[in-house]
Amino acid sequence: MLRAADVERLLAGVDSAEVAEERLGVVARVGRAAVADALAALRDAGFESLVDLLGIDTGEHVEVTYHLRSYASGQDLFVKTALPYDGELESVWQVYPSALMPERETAELFGLRLSEHPNPKRLLTTDGVPPLLRKDVPVRTPEEFTR
Amino acid sequence: MALDRLTGENSILFARSEQLFDFARRKSLWYLAFGIACCAIEGLMHASGPRFDFDRMGVFFRASPRQADVMIVAGTVNRKMAETVRRLYDQMPEPKWVVAMGACASTGGPFREYPNVVLGVDEIVPVDVYVPGCPPRPESVQYAFIQLQKKIAEKAKERVDAARG
Amino acid sequence: MSDPRYEIYEAGLIGEGMHTPPVLPAGLRRAPGGVDGLRTEHLVVNMGPQHPSTHGVLRMIVELDGEEVVTAEASIGYLHRGIEKVAEHRRYDALGTLMDRGDYVAGIMGELAAALATEQLLEVEVPPKANWLRSLTSELNRIASHLVWFGTFGLDTGAMGQFLYAMRDREALLDILEAISGQRMMFNYVRPGGVVRDLPPGIDAKIREFVDTFENVYLPEHDALLGGNEIFQSRVKGIGVITREQALAFGLTGPNLRASGVKYDVRVDRPYAAYPELDFEVPVGEAGDAWDRYLVRMEEMRQAARMIRQCIDGMPEGPHMAKVPKLIKPPAGEVYAAVESARGETGVHLVSDGSEHPYRFRYRGPSLFALQALEEILPGHLLADVVMIIGSTDVMMGEIDR
Repeated sequence: MLRAADVERLLAGVDSAEVAEERLGVVARVGRAAVADALAALRDAGFESLVDLLGIDTGEHVEVTYHLRSYASGQDLFVKTALPYDGELESVWQVYPSALMPERETAELFGLRLSEHPNPKRLLTTDGVPPLLRKDVPVRTPEEFTR
Repeated sequence: MALDRLTGENSILFARSEQLFDFARRKSLWYLAFGIACCAIEGLMHASGPRFDFDRMGVFFRASPRQADVMIVAGTVNRKMAETVRRLYDQMPEPKWVVAMGACASTGGPFREYPNVVLGVDEIVPVDVYVPGCPPRPESVQYAFIQLQKKIAEKAKERVDAARG
Repeated sequence: MSDPRYEIYEAGLIGEGMHTPPVLPAGLRRAPGGVDGLRTEHLVVNMGPQHPSTHGVLRMIVELDGEEVVTAEASIGYLHRGIEKVAEHRRYDALGTLMDRGDYVAGIMGELAAALATEQLLEVEVPPKANWLRSLTSELNRIASHLVWFGTFGLDTGAMGQFLYAMRDREALLDILEAISGQRMMFNYVRPGGVVRDLPPGIDAKIREFVDTFENVYLPEHDALLGGNEIFQSRVKGIGVITREQALAFGLTGPNLRASGVKYDVRVDRPYAAYPELDFEVPVGEAGDAWDRYLVRMEEMRQAARMIRQCIDGMPEGPHMAKVPKLIKPPAGEVYAAVESARGETGVHLVSDGSEHPYRFRYRGPSLFALQALEEILPGHLLADVVMIIGSTDVMMGEIDR
């Protein structure tokens, strides 16, 4: 069983990292400047696969979650960081290539800018579509979709 | 052909060309193999599979829009897809028909709230037959084709009547 | 001539020697400078979104040097319909209907992932019978899903007959699933707290009959007709190799990961439903090529048939639904639940704020990650193999675009 203390030891070299055991599992919260370092350290420690990458609009900022997994020990780990709206999402594709498309998707649907990404184009929608997964973008009302 | 039995062997039939063409069109509606979403599994794959056997109605799939008569819009169309649907429709030769299969193609279906989804494919292309259901059963699609055949026959009759004056 | 269309003539696409027609002996036609002397250019070929073998609305943009793929890019989003956004405006018991339409060939597994996540939030214990029913329907659906893959993979190789045989088997399966759940494809059978209804009377015999025929007649038939076909084997063996390292780096799961030699199966490593009590094997490949992916999936169908028989034999008595309030309002929290769907790990990352609607609903589809790996492994293959490799990874556009 993965303990918070183990992850804290792995992230010793990364500044402003807080590790806690939550309902989700072990969650490490790092500052947005330290994400690449933290992920590189964790990958070297055996978390060889990025299973998922998602954004959550908390109402104050966009929280980006990296879901890591080590197949050797069967452990999952969640790394979270907070980005301001219209902030910059720094690509981690050099550490985890599987981040390529989820990053494009998250940046597009939450209105973030991608940096250091080899292909920072839109992925799912056409130009001019607002960041749809943000809470301030409403869905259609019944008046709009009934004809 | 059954006509043989009515008129006897080696007989000569007189018909208006419109009527003949429409007879042929009605019995060989080739559809475009173009599945967008879930409905494609039911409406294109299962309907042409061994149990429902679309071929016996003269309905067969074509991979190219240039050879197709009918477009079955089987699935949700979003803003990115809309352009492609329209372009495929424009590529099909006249006369051509469109079947909007399922709730998504008819009205936007379960995803109608999402701003990126087109509220029914009739905003992009003219639709001849709507098929309700999510997804409709293969039988419904076959029924839609029977309705389409009726529609074509009626059109032909109208034209012939108009020509007679 | 400043027209860009004529630039290729000015740029000397035709080799130097061609400009001065040489005197050739009568009857001989050849490029005097040799073929190497001809200058060629890369060709960009667009496949899709309407293409008979891209399995839905996938669009691959492939750059070719002759017949060899130099780079490949997947352009997706043609089926993006906002499952994640719409889910924020649905109640918890209706999440399954959206998951059905995500991975539309393996609906039960998607529903199960959403139900497991909701149950984690609610901290509900599911009655044993519901667990067994969930496993039973999941495995039935797994065979149905693999049969679609099998049929379309056959079509990709040019074996039209396979598709018809696969559809024949699938019809028999859909009859059973329809009798259990009431719908052929969008089952909406698994709900938070259990399953919506018990097995109808007399279905046991029908399932047993199907499994017997499937194991003894259909599956050997498929194996002999497609897998035993020499043309098929020479077309799939050795192409589309995904190494173990690549599979891990690109986040592959499910049969694609196992074909590359990583023995990871959610059913075994993070058991859910009745899988801890079932006896089954997890097939693992070695080379990670298209042929291994074929073998792994065929073996999975065999194991699924085994599990179905065990589920019917060992089905416990009791209620099929736990006590769950009509209007589900789980406490605030964040959970992740995963199931082994037919394509890999289908996960649901659910954030609740205590209201009746989810705050954030993330659908982790395994096909998205398989598609990313395709961009990496396609270069170096021939154009004709591109279709085969896409077919072998069994990508499903519904869960890629969501």
